[in-house]
Amino acid sequence: MRQKPGGSLFPKGHPMSSIFLSSHLASPAPPAESHDRRSAGFAPPGRPGRARLTWASRLAAAAIAVTAGFSVAEAAADPNWRAAEGSSLNLLLISHPFVDSLKPLLPEFTEKTGIKVTFEELAEQPGFEKLLADLSSKTGSFDVFMTSPLNNWQYGSAGWLEPLDDYIADPKLTEATYDLGDFIPGVLASGRWTLEPLKGVGEGKLWALPINFESYQLAYRPSILKKLGIEVPKTYADLLAVADKLKTTGPNGPINGIITRFDHYWDLPYLTFGTMLQSYGVDMLDADGKLQICSDKSIQATEDFIKLIKTASPADAGAFTWDQAMQGFASGQYVISFNEANLFAPVYEDPKQSSISDDVGYAPTPLGPDGKRAAAAWIWSLSMNSASKNKTAAWLFLQWVTSKEIAVKTALAGNMNPVRQSTWNDPKVTALMESWGEVPGQYVAAAKTEAEVAALRFPPHPELTRMLDRWAEAIQQSYFGQGDVKTNLCAAQEDIQAMIAP
Amino acid sequence: MAARLSPDTENGMPRATFWALLAPALILLLLSLYPFLTGLYTSLTNQKLYVPATSFIGLGNFVRLFQTPLFWTALGNTLTYSILAIALQLPLGLAFALLLDMPGKVQSFFRSVLVLPLLIPPVVAGLMWKTMMQPQSGVLNWLLGAVGIDPLPWLANPATAMISVVIIDTWLFAPLAAIILLAGLQSISVELVEAARVDGASAWQIVRRIKLPLLGPYVLLVALFRVSDSLKALEIIYATTRGGPLNATRTLHVMAYEEAYRWSNLGRAMAIVFILWLLCYTISGTLLALWQRQEATRHAR
Repeated sequence: MRQKPGGSLFPKGHPMSSIFLSSHLASPAPPAESHDRRSAGFAPPGRPGRARLTWASRLAAAAIAVTAGFSVAEAAADPNWRAAEGSSLNLLLISHPFVDSLKPLLPEFTEKTGIKVTFEELAEQPGFEKLLADLSSKTGSFDVFMTSPLNNWQYGSAGWLEPLDDYIADPKLTEATYDLGDFIPGVLASGRWTLEPLKGVGEGKLWALPINFESYQLAYRPSILKKLGIEVPKTYADLLAVADKLKTTGPNGPINGIITRFDHYWDLPYLTFGTMLQSYGVDMLDADGKLQICSDKSIQATEDFIKLIKTASPADAGAFTWDQAMQGFASGQYVISFNEANLFAPVYEDPKQSSISDDVGYAPTPLGPDGKRAAAAWIWSLSMNSASKNKTAAWLFLQWVTSKEIAVKTALAGNMNPVRQSTWNDPKVTALMESWGEVPGQYVAAAKTEAEVAALRFPPHPELTRMLDRWAEAIQQSYFGQGDVKTNLCAAQEDIQAMIAP
Repeated sequence: MAARLSPDTENGMPRATFWALLAPALILLLLSLYPFLTGLYTSLTNQKLYVPATSFIGLGNFVRLFQTPLFWTALGNTLTYSILAIALQLPLGLAFALLLDMPGKVQSFFRSVLVLPLLIPPVVAGLMWKTMMQPQSGVLNWLLGAVGIDPLPWLANPATAMISVVIIDTWLFAPLAAIILLAGLQSISVELVEAARVDGASAWQIVRRIKLPLLGPYVLLVALFRVSDSLKALEIIYATTRGGPLNATRTLHVMAYEEAYRWSNLGRAMAIVFILWLLCYTISGTLLALWQRQEATRHAR
């Protein structure tokens, strides 16, 4: 697909402009001050570089600007897939359904290119340990590795990442049909950064290509809600109002109200509770670069969250990790899974892993006090090691694995959620997701609603996780009764300010 | 060169033999001393893996650490972990050892079963216990319920997390204490015990007056092993609580690990590790001195 520089991805009236991710995400996100995201989302697409666009949720616009620039290169002749024949690649993969979906496809790549691929698959923690050791010693033993924007803000600062723009622009190495514009713009733009601390995400060079992304949703047990006579909550106020009624007894003992991860790590304010915070209108930094951690809205959101957990979660909720949250809901011990990752859905839907596969529904995350919804996003990406000795081969692999064809194949084998619009529109992928939920299409509808408002709203910084850990600590202190919410959040804000400007 | 060509000797043996015999020790010394000194130097720099330039900042990392409240929490947690571990594992190990010291078929069976936990990697043990300690679905709370005790939050609450982690450590390492103490008990000469029995000593008196005093060096040996190991404990904590909830199980080692592997902050991580080393060294050194003194008096007898 070719675009005119500066033009929109899908002109109005184009058949694809009715599809959520293409039309909505392709348009510039509204300025931070606007709470009326939904109407702003339909603003005429294009016009990147509007004066009020800043680093935060304005990823989408930036992506258009850059993708448009590349379309020129796409006109050229076929690339040489055998340009690095005989070489070999070593990948570092972090255990994830994506990896399971990729492994059976690797022989196809070797056949196509003559490049041998070996890989090491590790769990997140030892995987990133090993990656850090390799990247920092610049030995280049991993040519391509799984990463995320959060990690890349450290690796990029150090110069360990290879920018991908030149490879994409090279017609000898990249298919004309590769179509960077087919990626969900906001997700693709998360891989761009100017390398400046606290700003410049979505601009500058492209350091990573996305392979999947998760956003957040409510998952619920339709039969139990019906029995209790409770509607699926549409706002946080609705949810708080019914929180104390969300309990019942099942065949295996008591069923608790809600489950969500609640540990003392960055993912709490960054992802799950982050989605609630952002719907309350809280960004970590405001437009003037001031921390908003102990703002009135943040205090309100935190107090509501703690009240919700204390009312509707079991006493040990203060240490739930994401896997416990997933397994807890899949085992039928909870009525609602609150703001958890939407890509847990394949687990809930699989009778082998879940005891609720015939009794689960999905809904978008609740609306904030101002009727606003915003959502966080977690994006798994692939990057190239700048110390790689086989960069051509590494690029061919990156191109192949993120191509339209392979994206569909991995999605069908469980790599959710797709990052290419063509994957979302693939009939087989659609058919797979369509069955998920209380009624057909429920999961897809909820995921689309979230994707419209999902963005990285955090300042890029190599040690952002240290700051977010401190934030999470303040929330936990309040939950465990060590001081009130305001004092704890303000103390955290002070500490985080010191980390930003030591 | 001339010196080497002449049939020179050192300590009464040819120089070549002298150096060849000394070489392993020298290599070992170099292999441990070099990383130690590099580490010590790193602790005096602001080295971050993702920042190309590194400069010497003297005691900056240490000063900063001492000003961080979390450091003192972690130091307290490290000592608590160690003290609790010893306090549980020594008496338990001793009890096991006394039971296993009695002759019998059951004892010889349990003598081999006892070592099984020692063969399990701490990370695996941590994950296994984490499952058993789940407050909602874990088997421990189910067992407590069966005898009418209220469920405990185990690892999920700051108040109980530390003792829960130490329980896992104890399950893993009390057998080590038991084995060492059992060896000690079996080294006590049978004649001594028989003589006491003939003189009319009760079983308790034999334990109290004969076995325990003679076990002194072995108790110190167990303490020596367990103190330095528990001060450095990381795997069990990281597999279960990763330092939480809140900072209830954040020890110095967890703190250093996170500085190094999450934030690439080698300077600060090395400063913490150096303090941990100092702690281990002082305590182990004291215990070792005690042990040597006991040995000396024993042999002097």
